[in-house]
Amino acid sequence: MKRAALPSLLMAASLFVAACGSGESAITAGQDDPDDVTTTEPPDQIATGDDTGDETGDETGSTTAPDDTETTDPGAAGGDGDAGGSDDEGATTAPDTAPTEIPLDGYPDCPTGALDDVDAADAPVQITYWHGMTAENEEALQAITEQYNASQDRVVVELQNQGGYLEVIDKYYQSGDNGRPDLVMFPEYGFQQAIDSDTVIPVEVCVRDAGFDTSPIQPSAVQAYSSAGVHWAMPFNVSNPILYFNKQMFEAAGLDPEQPPTTFDELRAMSQQLVDSGVASYGIALDTSIDSGGGWFLEQWFANAGELFVDNGNGRESLPTEVLFDQETGVEIVTFLRDLIDDGLAVNVGDNAGGSDNFLKMADTADPAAMTIGTSAGLGTVINVLGSGLVEGLTPNDVGVGGLPGLAPEQTAIVGGAANFVVAGKDPEITAATWDFVTYLITPEVQSQWAVQTGYLPIVDEAIDLEPLRTTYADDPRFRVAYTQLANSPDDLAHAGPQIGPHRQVRDQTAAALASIFNGGDIESTLTDAAATSDALLQQYIALNG
Amino acid sequence: MLVATSDPALRCIDMESRAFDRRRWRQLPAALALLAPSAIVLGAFIVYPLVKAIFLGRQRCNSTGTRCVDAGWDQYSDTFRSTEFQHALLVTAEFALITVPLGLAFGIGLAVLAHKHLSGVGVFRAIFSSTVATSVAVASLMWLFLLQPSVGVLSNVGWIADAFPVVKQPGLLNDPGTALWSVGLSSVWANLGFTFIIITAGLQSIPDDLYEAAALDGATGTGRFWRITLPLLGPSLLFVLIVLTTRAFQAYGEIDLLTEGGPRPDDSTTTITYLTYGRNSIMATDQGLQATTAVLLFVVLLGLSFLQLWSIGRRVHYGD
Repeated sequence: MKRAALPSLLMAASLFVAACGSGESAITAGQDDPDDVTTTEPPDQIATGDDTGDETGDETGSTTAPDDTETTDPGAAGGDGDAGGSDDEGATTAPDTAPTEIPLDGYPDCPTGALDDVDAADAPVQITYWHGMTAENEEALQAITEQYNASQDRVVVELQNQGGYLEVIDKYYQSGDNGRPDLVMFPEYGFQQAIDSDTVIPVEVCVRDAGFDTSPIQPSAVQAYSSAGVHWAMPFNVSNPILYFNKQMFEAAGLDPEQPPTTFDELRAMSQQLVDSGVASYGIALDTSIDSGGGWFLEQWFANAGELFVDNGNGRESLPTEVLFDQETGVEIVTFLRDLIDDGLAVNVGDNAGGSDNFLKMADTADPAAMTIGTSAGLGTVINVLGSGLVEGLTPNDVGVGGLPGLAPEQTAIVGGAANFVVAGKDPEITAATWDFVTYLITPEVQSQWAVQTGYLPIVDEAIDLEPLRTTYADDPRFRVAYTQLANSPDDLAHAGPQIGPHRQVRDQTAAALASIFNGGDIESTLTDAAATSDALLQQYIALNG
Repeated sequence: MLVATSDPALRCIDMESRAFDRRRWRQLPAALALLAPSAIVLGAFIVYPLVKAIFLGRQRCNSTGTRCVDAGWDQYSDTFRSTEFQHALLVTAEFALITVPLGLAFGIGLAVLAHKHLSGVGVFRAIFSSTVATSVAVASLMWLFLLQPSVGVLSNVGWIADAFPVVKQPGLLNDPGTALWSVGLSSVWANLGFTFIIITAGLQSIPDDLYEAAALDGATGTGRFWRITLPLLGPSLLFVLIVLTTRAFQAYGEIDLLTEGGPRPDDSTTTITYLTYGRNSIMATDQGLQATTAVLLFVVLLGLSFLQLWSIGRRVHYGD
């Protein structure tokens, strides 16, 4: 009797709930009704005309309230000149930063010379750095930071591991002005959010103040963290997705283990051969995680096809208003993947919550997959795990690495990984010390060491000719794949990658759509629905940040 | 306070009570001073955040919270009626329906098993209560190693993989039909230590002479369980019931570590708590909506606890 009461209550509650559903998404909560004008700002306000005028012309009719942050935020301004007005076109040329100096008035100062006034004998400047590196990558970062602290006596960097990128983001935005670190690492999906937070100094301000030469840095890495011509964050740990494959299986199936698939067509053909020969149950393990197959890889495949993922120049000219993943290219990519799965050539390992299910599928003794796609930043860990003998029958040398197969014949990629943001509102000597550390992290020596220990790729070319990376690239070409892939990528807006405010939420939409499609959902209507929800998220973001 | 009346006797009482009132007012400063410490602490850490959260739940803010749009009270009703919240509420109810009865049943069963005066029974008590010392993170990782479809323990036991192909493909945590049950079972397991300890304590407070008397009267073992053990365990069971229900509604760690609210696209394990705080939630960066769902969860839990106390609490026997 006692235990019967609770279920009945819950049933009653469930019935009550079911009876009053609106069938609408929570994203639009509090917005649809015309009578909620008890607002300090109109809820449907889109950016005021001065910065996004030509892009959002159809919506600007509702903008009446002047917005105080708008005038002090030139972040979205200035890009219009280079925009070229090609929303859906694909490979358009990127805004060129070099010839025209974009004015940086209105941004916080970056007094990079303030460190010269610091008397080292007095007390070194202490700065804190929030990062999201774990395992081997964290150890490598610790080693580099210790080297920096030992190399000079004016600055002491304190590393604070937040546990992951998302934890960094969450904690950063929930901290007040005084709680934030001096330097913070955000992944590419936190880029727009960081710009709109008005809490970081664009590194371009520091670059100009210090007269720093950014030309040795990979242009694509600079471009990935530039918005409307302003360089906002210093790339540090850059990665992109690569193909991992089992060389033993390739040989057993009569494939050349030195020639992994480079395109979708080859991927399909080789998967067919691997399955037909019986050496593997599946050609490739796919997944629907937002950090990989469900979101990030999809963006990569769009770039590879030379297509934009969102409008307004992939969000690089002004805040995007519309996603484009439900159009032709999206349907083509998703159809290819779905067919692979339906024909038994690929296996979907699902949400891949821990980020390792796809790799573990390659270690499955009963139903293994011969290939999977993962971030290049995982290469060091994969080799370490296999080296420890945890996986029977697979040694580190059995893992082959290839570029990411896609629609285009050439393998290209968007800059992934993360970049360092200089936090605003600090004392001059702290900002100067932060800048000093930021530049240290991208010296060729550090990048060479970092790339070897982690699998991230060096963002300065000179690093390749320095030890230890020179030897590693010569001895183990697997580490070079991601670098080559990025170096081959054209300097266009498609390869700059989408710049989206609610980036993770949009990825969540694509991930859910892919999961649905892989389980039998209709491709076009599912993508259309996901796009509609994503567009609502974009509009919501514009209303709050535009 | 009594109302004024014409009855002299009552009027006398009335005057007395007024005098009492005056005395009471004079004691007000002292009362306030004595109340101040807990009032300040409660106010600063409970009441103020609650009120703040309720008002934040009306708003939609940017990530730093520096720009907010007030969407009005209907943000609450809209959110409550949204597909995401309704779905999460149903999932939460299902999760509670899985974990609470199972948790109670296993807890009672184990406690009764270990409530024997045998040598060595202490070892079993220690084992049964050990999950109390296991953190959610550790417990979830352990279950992850058990359930992982490629290299997990379960999927590599031949007969299990043959009898239940779902263990292998797509995996218990990846199948929409089994994911919630799997997370629920890990949660039941993790809460078992707590349930076991409370119920064991309840059992030990039941006097042995009741059982002796019942045995003399010819009551069987099951009869004694249903007629003595269970009724006298009432207060413990009510306590466990409310705690387990609350925990079910607040479960987060196991969901975050085992499924991240998935599997997609049904979000089969996205409970209200995960919808509020989860990294993959649609409102992950929207503090306003997060506050809205958090307050809604608070209201739902408040109502539920009230219903439980009202409907079951009356029937619990607390002794004389």
